[in-house]
Amino acid sequence: MKLETTHASADVASEVVFEAKGLKKEYDDGRVHALRGVNFRITQGEFVVILGPSGCGKTTLLQMLGALAEPSAGILHYRGKSLADLADPASYRAREIGIIFQAFHLLPTFTAVENVQMPMFETDRPAAERTERAVELLKLVALGHRLDHFPSKLSGGEKQRVAIARSLANGPTVLLADEPTGNLDSENSKKILELIIRLRREQNMTLVLVTHDLNIARMATRTIEMKDGLIVADQQVPQTAA
Amino acid sequence: MNFLTIVVRGLLRRPVRTGLTLVGISIGIAAVVALVGISHGFEASWATGMKVRGTDIVVSNMGNALAPKPFSAEVRDRIGKLPEVAAACSIYADLTSVEDASMMVVSAREWGGFSWQNLKLISGRMPNDGMEDAVVLGQTAAEMLKKKIGDPLQLETKELKVVGIVDGGAMVENGSVILSLELFQKITGNEDRINVIDIRAAPGMSEEAVKQLCDKINAIAPEAKAMVAGEHLGNSQAFRFISAMSWGTSLLAVIVGVLGVMNTMLMTVFERKQEMCILLAIGWKPSRIIRMILWESALLGFLGGIVGVIIGTISVKVLEQLPAIHGMLEPDFNGGLMAVAVVLAVVVGVISGLYPAWRSSRLTPSLAMQG
Ligand SMILES: Nc1ncnc2c1ncn2[C@@H]1O[C@H](COP(=O)(O)OP(=O)(O)O)[C@@H](O)[C@H]1O
Ligand SMILES: [Mg+2]
Repeated sequence: MKLETTHASADVASEVVFEAKGLKKEYDDGRVHALRGVNFRITQGEFVVILGPSGCGKTTLLQMLGALAEPSAGILHYRGKSLADLADPASYRAREIGIIFQAFHLLPTFTAVENVQMPMFETDRPAAERTERAVELLKLVALGHRLDHFPSKLSGGEKQRVAIARSLANGPTVLLADEPTGNLDSENSKKILELIIRLRREQNMTLVLVTHDLNIARMATRTIEMKDGLIVADQQVPQTAA
Repeated sequence: MNFLTIVVRGLLRRPVRTGLTLVGISIGIAAVVALVGISHGFEASWATGMKVRGTDIVVSNMGNALAPKPFSAEVRDRIGKLPEVAAACSIYADLTSVEDASMMVVSAREWGGFSWQNLKLISGRMPNDGMEDAVVLGQTAAEMLKKKIGDPLQLETKELKVVGIVDGGAMVENGSVILSLELFQKITGNEDRINVIDIRAAPGMSEEAVKQLCDKINAIAPEAKAMVAGEHLGNSQAFRFISAMSWGTSLLAVIVGVLGVMNTMLMTVFERKQEMCILLAIGWKPSRIIRMILWESALLGFLGGIVGVIIGTISVKVLEQLPAIHGMLEPDFNGGLMAVAVVLAVVVGVISGLYPAWRSSRLTPSLAMQG
């Protein structure tokens, strides 16, 4: 997929990745207003934490960013192009973004190394290269010793590591994570979070992460707080030594 | 890992269900192979029977019955006069019970006619003349009737003597009780009745010329119908009925197979809804999910087809060994039929997968996040 970017004047660091204006999402023929008109701009390399009580629309917002669902109204641009006008949303999901879920969402009938390869089927990568890359990615998340394990034989933390490796399969520039530590104990949560943050830094990715955990928010570059489908606070986090 | 691995893994996920579905579809395909193979074989062996007798044209009246309708013996003389006819042999052929065998071909042939010439003696001798109270038995007929040379054989009201056992070179011939037409007419009192005339065309006649000769015969002998040997069976209503029945039964079995595969694939789509949404969310195109389902059902069909061909072939082989029908079946299991059966099974698989695949195309990736 070719995404034309029109940022002649902007330097890479401030390149706008997402821009939302009056973004709305309704469910059940307008009976549920999950997003009531949100506006924001996320630039390249930011680490945005989205906070807010359950049901305030965090997951819905992430779905919009991942082109998993279409907005009911408003504008959502990815690098200057409307996501609603994407000719091939599957290709966008496969190549531009990586998604990490709270419930890991590995495919139970495939081994770790096979799960990681799944998104690669949408690229021209030959089979041998797919395997090779999947092995590398699993080593990157410290699971080199669990390559041929099925998800049922992995601990929660290990499953999420496989899912993280999978999200990196096609080298995305944006990582979307919906409560990635929500199903993990505190020790594993900490490790997974460190891993995500490290990978974001190493691969210079933009990270949008949904969480309830205020401790995580402190590690972000920016926090967006939501309530009832609206953004109620949006602030930069003072950068200490991260 | 390649795409085929994903397809196979999908089927192995529920091995028992996949196995049962396979059994269902393979029984359908086995029915096709067995029934069509038998009826083809029947047709083919009848045609070989004609060929070994050196018959180019068969004149008969294949009506509703398994045996042709009789007509006047005088028809033979009319046809014999045509210059293109090298030889003609009158026959009275009947399917009837003979002693303990419930269905036997009794073939009464004009004494001295060319239809005797292909019979090779295995033991004993041929009748001395057209009026000797003697029969020869095809080797299978001899086995079925448990007769040796010299044994008596009851035909209608008359006791005849088995004087020879012959190899007729074809299943139909070997399953026949063969005697002189004149003798048979005397026994049955049907002096002037025949129901088949074998015709040998003049040497060197092209297929086209033989067909034209049929038309000529039909013009001068309206009592019966002349047909190129081998094709005449297809014209028999009884045979057409058997053929239609075997296709109909096969079709029914195949439809059951289709429903089985469709049900399995639908269940799989329901069960794996969440997984399919995840695949969509991580970038799979809906068309890839559809392809995955269609490949799974095609593979089910393919495997069912292979197993079905094997089951069908084996069950007919077993059937052939049954004493009641031993020697009466000469099934035609050519590679063509097997290939058609497997292709049919794959088509069945793909068709069964269409609706489930269409169902999957309505899944949306956002469902993955709401789990
Ligand atoms: N598919 C859906 N159909 C109907 N209502 C939905 C659907 N998805 C989410 N909602 C509703 O939209 C609101 C926002 O949900 P969500 O974005 O999941 O919130 P959060 O992730 O912040 O907990 C909730 O009231 C939820 O019940
Ligand atoms: Mg949520």
